[in-house]
Amino acid sequence: MSVASLEFLVCLWIAAALFFHLPPGWPRRAVLAIGNLAFIGLLIPNAASAVALALFLLAGYFAGLLLQARPRGATLAVYLTVLVASFIVVQKYSFLAWLGLGQAAAHSISIVGLSYILFRQIHFAVDAMQGQIARPSLWAYVNYQLNLFALLAGPIQRYQEFEKYWKAPEPAVSDRHEVLQAHLRVLIGVIKIAAFGAVLLFGRDKLWGQLLDIAKDPHFSSRLSALARFAVVFYAYPAYVYFNFSGYCDIVIGGASLLGQRLPENFDRPYLSRNMIDFWTRWHRTLGFWIRDYLFMPMYKLAAEKTPRHAASLAFLCYFVAFLLAGIWHGTTSNYAVFGALHGAGASATKIWERILVRRGGRAGLRRYLESRPVRWIAIVATGHFVCFSMIFFSADLRECVPVLRMVGTALVPWSGAW
Amino acid sequence: MRETLRTEMQEVFRDVFGDPGIEIRDAMTAEDVDGWDSLMHINLIVAIERRFGIKFATAEISGLKGDDQNIGTFLDLVAGKIGPR
Repeated sequence: MSVASLEFLVCLWIAAALFFHLPPGWPRRAVLAIGNLAFIGLLIPNAASAVALALFLLAGYFAGLLLQARPRGATLAVYLTVLVASFIVVQKYSFLAWLGLGQAAAHSISIVGLSYILFRQIHFAVDAMQGQIARPSLWAYVNYQLNLFALLAGPIQRYQEFEKYWKAPEPAVSDRHEVLQAHLRVLIGVIKIAAFGAVLLFGRDKLWGQLLDIAKDPHFSSRLSALARFAVVFYAYPAYVYFNFSGYCDIVIGGASLLGQRLPENFDRPYLSRNMIDFWTRWHRTLGFWIRDYLFMPMYKLAAEKTPRHAASLAFLCYFVAFLLAGIWHGTTSNYAVFGALHGAGASATKIWERILVRRGGRAGLRRYLESRPVRWIAIVATGHFVCFSMIFFSADLRECVPVLRMVGTALVPWSGAW
Repeated sequence: MRETLRTEMQEVFRDVFGDPGIEIRDAMTAEDVDGWDSLMHINLIVAIERRFGIKFATAEISGLKGDDQNIGTFLDLVAGKIGPR
């Protein structure tokens, strides 16, 4: 079920109208739980998937309890290894075949939202071990993981925030104006997905198909026409992803607020980012913060503790690895690794450039650089184009990206004999 | 006790940021200290952990850079971890 579907919206409006007429406490929690279970029930394709999901959730909860009672790094390491390995098998990552483990991916299990469940599992385990989660109940944990407003694609809420709400679901919007604002936000989200997103995707898919044909045989098109088609795709796909994903977030954040939940914001004008680190504090922000807290920070902190003298240099590697892993998480094929590697390289380059600027002009020089309006706009345009380029690898498999990019490269060379 | 802790923390700040002129006050935030970015934040955390023999949780480290956080809340967190001395 799509969150932009009429069925979802009707259910949301009915729930929003009735929810706070229920007595506080367990009746409200029961309605939320029924909604969560009904939503996941509609998305689970078979019994094997339901069993696998139950195992994931139970393992996550009991691992959290174990780590809370006996906080040992070795236990966490074993749990995370098993968790990530299970995730790779369930998601059928393409590299399993390269490793000769193709058989492991021959199953019918499909769990919608598992990528986000994984992030919440890791956060829950780490925070439980570090004493940041107090006495979680299985019921609260399951509803946290299956929260229908964050199940499909985030935002990645932290357990502590969810628990505050779960203990006492109270209205988050205080007056008629805020209620109307929340409904308006849902409506804007639907328009972003159903109008802008759909049109952009339709156009992009059509042109991408034509680009694939031209890549096979350049005689399908003139050089200029091929480049024009590529230019439209180059900008249209990132625009589509923005409208589709931010529209989804508008619906779930606005919808959740009607039932009293304050979900974290996920977008803050991402195409105005001045570098790739800035980009990840504006685009899919909850993922960016998760990457910072659970990938980058442990790696860099270890480097700063063990080899303080080399920590600054190792930071570049930490950025690269963190974003590479985040890229691989996005999908099961190798193009997502390229997407992650590009973002990792972009984040590392940002820090390297900053270091160069500090060496040249000191902190004052860096401040002047950051305050310069022309520099700011050049940085925004450059970052935007880098993101658009990286999105090519987000949109299609390498078997499609490589020939299209090769064709575009050839078209850009005037003396090329292909045309 | 709190002033002693502030003085000790100030020494750590000066050492980490390489600025002997830094004077920390409760109302100060990361925005007020030149160069306090994600990397320096972790360098600062590691230095404070070493200095006071304490450990910060991941959620605490990221929470310290939240909108409602400042040097005062940072001092409170450290004071809570080291306990009465």
